[in-house]
Amino acid sequence: MTQDADKVLDHFELFRGAEYKEMFANKRANFENTHPDAEVDRVREWAKTKEYQEKNFAREALVVNPAKACQPLGAVFVAVGFEGTLPFVHGSQGCVAYYRSHFSRHFKEPTSCVSSSMTEDAAVFGGLNNMVDGLANAYSMYKPKMIAVSTTCMAEVIGDDLNAFIKTAKEKGSVPAEFDVTFAHTPAFVGSHVTGYDNAMKGVIEHFWDGKAGTVPKLERAENGSINFIGGFDGYTVGNIREVKRIFDLMQVEYTIIGDNSDVWDTPTDGEFRMYDGGTKLNDVANAVNAKATISMQQFCTEKTLELVRNHGHEVLAFNHPVGVAGTDHFLMEVSRLSGKPIPAELEKERGRLVDAIADSNAHIHGKKFAIYGDPDLTYGLAAFLLELGAEPVHVLATNGNKAWAAKMQALFDSSPFGANCKAYPGKDLWHMRSLLFTEPVDYLIGNTYGKYLERDTGTPLIRIGFPIFDRHHHHRRPVWGYQGGMNLLITILDKIFDTMDAKTNVAGQTDYSYDIIR
Amino acid sequence: MTSLNAKIQEVFNEPACGVNHNKTEKERKKGCTKQLQPGGAAGGCAFDGAKIALQPFTDVAHLVHGPIACEGNSWDNRGSKSSGSALWRMSFTTDMNETDIVFGGEKRLYKAIKEIGEKYDPAAIFVYQTCVPAMIGDDINAVCKAAAKKFGRPVIPVNSPGFVGQKNLGNKLAGEALLDHVIGTAEPEYTTPYDINIIGEYNLSGELWQVKPLLDELGIRILSCISGDGKYLEAAYSHRAKAAMMVCSRAMINVASKMEKRYNIPFFEGSFYGIGDTSDSLREISRLLISRGAPDKLMFHTEALVAREEQKAFAAIEQFKVQLAGKRVLLITGGVKSWSVVAALQEAGLEIVGTSVKKSTKEDKERIKQIMGEDAHMIDDMTPREMYKMLREARADIMLSGGRSQFVALKAAMPWLDINQERHHAYMGYVGMVDLVRQIEKSLYNPIWEQVRQPAPWDVNGESWQKKAQAAPAALPLAAE
Repeated sequence: MTQDADKVLDHFELFRGAEYKEMFANKRANFENTHPDAEVDRVREWAKTKEYQEKNFAREALVVNPAKACQPLGAVFVAVGFEGTLPFVHGSQGCVAYYRSHFSRHFKEPTSCVSSSMTEDAAVFGGLNNMVDGLANAYSMYKPKMIAVSTTCMAEVIGDDLNAFIKTAKEKGSVPAEFDVTFAHTPAFVGSHVTGYDNAMKGVIEHFWDGKAGTVPKLERAENGSINFIGGFDGYTVGNIREVKRIFDLMQVEYTIIGDNSDVWDTPTDGEFRMYDGGTKLNDVANAVNAKATISMQQFCTEKTLELVRNHGHEVLAFNHPVGVAGTDHFLMEVSRLSGKPIPAELEKERGRLVDAIADSNAHIHGKKFAIYGDPDLTYGLAAFLLELGAEPVHVLATNGNKAWAAKMQALFDSSPFGANCKAYPGKDLWHMRSLLFTEPVDYLIGNTYGKYLERDTGTPLIRIGFPIFDRHHHHRRPVWGYQGGMNLLITILDKIFDTMDAKTNVAGQTDYSYDIIR
Repeated sequence: MTSLNAKIQEVFNEPACGVNHNKTEKERKKGCTKQLQPGGAAGGCAFDGAKIALQPFTDVAHLVHGPIACEGNSWDNRGSKSSGSALWRMSFTTDMNETDIVFGGEKRLYKAIKEIGEKYDPAAIFVYQTCVPAMIGDDINAVCKAAAKKFGRPVIPVNSPGFVGQKNLGNKLAGEALLDHVIGTAEPEYTTPYDINIIGEYNLSGELWQVKPLLDELGIRILSCISGDGKYLEAAYSHRAKAAMMVCSRAMINVASKMEKRYNIPFFEGSFYGIGDTSDSLREISRLLISRGAPDKLMFHTEALVAREEQKAFAAIEQFKVQLAGKRVLLITGGVKSWSVVAALQEAGLEIVGTSVKKSTKEDKERIKQIMGEDAHMIDDMTPREMYKMLREARADIMLSGGRSQFVALKAAMPWLDINQERHHAYMGYVGMVDLVRQIEKSLYNPIWEQVRQPAPWDVNGESWQKKAQAAPAALPLAAE
């Protein structure tokens, strides 16, 4: 074989050797019983047609390449945003391994999370014992300040009652009676990770504000001037939360970030392992009930949460992942209105810089067509930013978007001349997107790492914005919110545009007459 | 240096130059170079002028003799395009260091020439003099002569160190280098009655290629283009052309006029910017070729082509008229001739509120008057501050200018379109003008301009940065050109 102990080839090179190529060709010719190349080509081309697209969009049962994840993932996201909090997923342990690896691949940080490791007998007799043992073990082994319980499908299917289970566990002494255990039912067969975020966040707030599952009196609200801030499920949470804090500090606003993941997913390498780091202080969560208002950056991540908060007398405000100039303007002005603090000159300068940068480069984005997919709020924010830049977000797709999202997108398209040819696709998957990219091609695709297959198949350059980003590192450390964040987004988009331009002009002696130094 | 001084005097004494006609003997002696104001923002130097004029020759190795600054800052900074060799884009410099300056850089230069020849085998090597070796007395003429003899390949000295003057002077000195060392040193394989030279055309964004098909259709051969997409050999045998078109009037007029004197090649000043001007230039090329013996029917063909292309272009521009009617344009051009763009913009329904005539000749100004009327707002030498003021007061909706004025427009929150050398769109010829109008339309209607002009929405009246900027003119931005 081509492999040689003196010079071991890695996977990039190994199978390119003549022996392997020959072996694969023989295998294919003699044993694989494949369709003739011409037939394969015919079908491939057919899959690019309008006719195929119609069949593709008529799909009722099958989902191919969905752009969403499950509820407990969102619940784990919420849990690690609180001081010393251990996410505890009631259900099978395999699911939990997924959440941990999913987050770790994106954030390049460990994500601590345990499960109650339900097995077949638990599924038959109920998971109570697993909850009782699980809480006891987790409490004694990992010494958390709080445990946030959510569920996998398994527990939901058999109908385990978290509230009752936790109560029983406390009675049996798994954890002290006054120890904070929040809970949320998060079945993966309903909604997506953004629903899970909503449920878990609601669970935490409800726990602290509404009497800790009936064990203490409900909190009485004494309104102060403070503002609560909830970020929503956000792949850029490390950079974003820090940026939002900086902005609030600049404005001298009193605030509480409810769910602050910026430290736990960005711990320093200094010899100390931090199982928990940063996060919203539990006292602060309780005191947040007294705030004047609560802001959510992502409406579709926090629908139930905000309802709960509103019922406590807060003014609530929901944005749709606001990015860019107008998006940030809107955000800051609302913060200014709610807090009574003016927007400082420094932020106004940053605004001017972003406007300046857009003006400098507008010609390269203006009139370009984009396809976007991702979470409902993110796609909305990005589409609004593109319209602001004079680009056309022609296809906007959210597998976890609903009709309300689609209507909101349509209203956005209608508000701009650049939105005339744009359409929102709620509940569709990336295989639908594939058809769209063939029948109505665009210049660029915006999406997460999974978009790279679409990039390969359709030749549409992929701009990586979203969650998860697995094949590029550290994007989550840069904010996309605020004017600085808008600048980061602009640069990300422009980089791809110029890279594409270079890639199309870099054949020496053929196309490199346009391979320019200055773009 | 005396020979360089003589050369500069000679260049100043250009009889074909429109400006020179109107000067007294004394003024003419003084030369064209306006003394620069120390501390004022200034444009490029003579080295830069020489380099940009010759760099578009594609199969030539352009070797800059000097410290890293000169080539380091100018490497591949022009949008010229090549249909063949990419050698012109390689950055060659002697990168002189302290020791060279103490002991002289001639040996290093000689070695550099030798190495380029061995590694790249170029058609020729152009050696550019810069300030430092000129001051320490490196004789690049002698080194080039010796190297050419030793290595058997053309090594052309371009003696235009930065300190002798401004960019425009460098353009002309580059032309002198061609006249002295290149033109007339080779013979073409064959000639035709339809051979022309195009002088002072740099094929920026490949725009010559938008005009070439028209010439091809008429059977007219570009024997040599100086210097856009040019080859060394083409320049060497360019003296066999029957006629010449002088594109950028001030840059290389000495080349055109001296070739007329030496080789009887009649030339005219023309432009491929604008629809009418493209047509006029095609007619003029045909007229000159017929005067040199081409058959009369060439004019007939030319008229047919002009009629067809004009109709096509106007039809294409028509679709933008609704969007563009009444929009006001401020035109600040460098090399691109103002009047030729003016006519094209008026065609699209745009109103020209002012045009710069900084580099325009008296004839240019006359033409602008013809096109824009007697009250044409001609700006001789607009400072960035005036430009800013004009834009800020919204007396214009868009500014067309070179890259260096871009920021004046942007800071005044005004749409801006690049029509100088760093632009990415080709505006030459009929299709080019349609594209220019398209780009203006795009630029005007980009949503960012509305954003740019609006103060931050939380601003109370009187506190926006725009208001502050207007209140404090001293803080206005400054930019070169």
